[in-house]
Amino acid sequence: MDTQSYMPVPPGVGMEENYLSLDDILLSQERLPCKTDTGFPGLGFLEKNTENRHIPEGTKMEMPLWLAKGLYERKRRVISVELPKVYREGWRTVFGADANVVDLHKMGPYYYGLGSQMLHFDSPENLEIAQIVLQTFIGRFRRTMDSSQNAYNEDTSALVERLDCLERALFKAGQSGLNAFQLWEKGRAAQLTASSLVTNYRKRKITDLQA
Amino acid sequence: MADRLSDAGDLSEEEEEEEEEEEDVLTPAELIARLEEAWLNEKFSPELLENKSELVECVMEQLMHMEENLQRVRKGDLKASVHRMEIDRIRFVLSSYLRSRLQKIEKFFPHVLEKEKSRADGDPSFLSPEEFAFAKEYLANTEVYLKAVALRHMPPNLQSIDMLKAVPEPCLDSFVFLRVKERQENILVEPETDEQREYVVDLEEGSQHLMRYRTIAPLVASGAVQLI
Amino acid sequence: MFCEKAVELIRELHRMSDGQLPAFNEDSIRQVLEEMKALYDFIYIFDSFIISHNSATEGKSELIPTIKFRHCCLLRNQRCITAYLYDRLLRIRALRWEYGSVLPTTIRFHMCAEELEWFNQYKKSLATYMRSLGGEEGLDITQDMKPPKSLYIEVRCLKDHGEFEIDDGTVILLKKNSQHFLPRWKCEQLIRQGVLEHVIS
Repeated sequence: MDTQSYMPVPPGVGMEENYLSLDDILLSQERLPCKTDTGFPGLGFLEKNTENRHIPEGTKMEMPLWLAKGLYERKRRVISVELPKVYREGWRTVFGADANVVDLHKMGPYYYGLGSQMLHFDSPENLEIAQIVLQTFIGRFRRTMDSSQNAYNEDTSALVERLDCLERALFKAGQSGLNAFQLWEKGRAAQLTASSLVTNYRKRKITDLQA
Repeated sequence: MADRLSDAGDLSEEEEEEEEEEEDVLTPAELIARLEEAWLNEKFSPELLENKSELVECVMEQLMHMEENLQRVRKGDLKASVHRMEIDRIRFVLSSYLRSRLQKIEKFFPHVLEKEKSRADGDPSFLSPEEFAFAKEYLANTEVYLKAVALRHMPPNLQSIDMLKAVPEPCLDSFVFLRVKERQENILVEPETDEQREYVVDLEEGSQHLMRYRTIAPLVASGAVQLI
Repeated sequence: MFCEKAVELIRELHRMSDGQLPAFNEDSIRQVLEEMKALYDFIYIFDSFIISHNSATEGKSELIPTIKFRHCCLLRNQRCITAYLYDRLLRIRALRWEYGSVLPTTIRFHMCAEELEWFNQYKKSLATYMRSLGGEEGLDITQDMKPPKSLYIEVRCLKDHGEFEIDDGTVILLKKNSQHFLPRWKCEQLIRQGVLEHVIS
């Protein structure tokens, strides 16, 4: 709609990341279990529990997705990336049984995003990961959509709490559509309103004063 | 959109008569209908469409023309307020149309400019001269800013950013609603899942569909379908 | 770990998802830039070390993973800073559309000098573009954000705004809590700025 003037860079679609997207930058901050397949001389200080000056080959460590993506090479063995628990077989079975019962915010909150990003690393389980991520989304989408379209003026926090970031964005889009529709039904769609930016600045000023 | 200019044809008869003297064969009603089409297409397509500067110019002229007529009408005349309302509504559609375009130019500026650069000589330009100037300034302004605040303080090999890579492209795979204006045969639809195969559909005149924009982009450009 | 400060900048903006502009975080930017310099100097030293030990090819390949690691960190910092600055521009752009061309001082206070410059340039480009549309006056496309339903609307004044001239030259006084029946077109911006409120009966 015309009325919201701040339009942030959206996250990338599928395996893509958008360079300037805040969401994608935070997604790529997610930590992955990794193992070094070569030594990293002079980087020992990154490891808390060691006096060693170097990181030797075969060290298990967690690193953020952006670093793992940067270091990972298909041809040369630099690091290997292990699957986070939620994408391993055990959890895949749980998701396959009933995706609706899972708290995807706790398990994620970037369950779909990170799942798609995992496909960058040549894992033999890539096909299964792709399938379960898609199935989970399909399995949960109906409920997310229904509730976002039908819960008008209701407390949806319990439901929203358990949604992954992508689902939350969809839920929000659905709710704002519902609200716009309700306004239109009441004949208030043409009402001119103060910019939400303006009102929020004012609110903040008041809270600043109270603080 | 809550409102459509359903009664755009309500322009008074005198105006239509005067309009006939001009070279343009479009009646005001047709002109507004064209604007509406361009507006909806631009609003719902993920990418910037070809510019319609001529149409915009005609509508602007029409608006001024109506304003002038309005000056001649006595104050308090009921006809005056009907005309005033008509002017406001046309101006809304025109502004909203131009706004959609400017928004996309700002959102995709490196790609929009690149497309313009690689355009073959005879091809129509996607940007009006004014939009082109705006896009160029927007790029320059943004590059100067990034450089001044941060990039020039970075190590030598990191002092520039490829804006074409950094700013996302329009997502042509998004789905759009459309109404068919001219019957189309054998439109190739790509498979959505691995189990599916590609297939062809015929689009009957007057039928409505939900499809990927990429599939029907050429039909939007040619005017064979209308985005809704 | 490296790049923590840079991600903090991103989180800071992400928390304000409605598009408000927080104060320009000059301090953090400086710290990230310093970290980048340190990372770069480190690579540089390594590089020259490799060059000076050219004969010892063994040592060279051993160092490559570390150099690559540092380079990843540099790119990450660059990405975070650029995304931070770019997202702020999108917020500043929104201000032009919501507030008009004159910003309240409280907001200007949140912008750095270069951002003010960007805003002024943006304002100019937009004005030039809008002037070029038809007639002598051009067309202000920052108005008419919603389809009009009626010519005149009932508005209530939320704060003292002083004198206000309408189309036909009449001047009215916008006093707090006063109510007026005004041409819709003239009120749009004042409503968006929160000076007037559109009353619907």
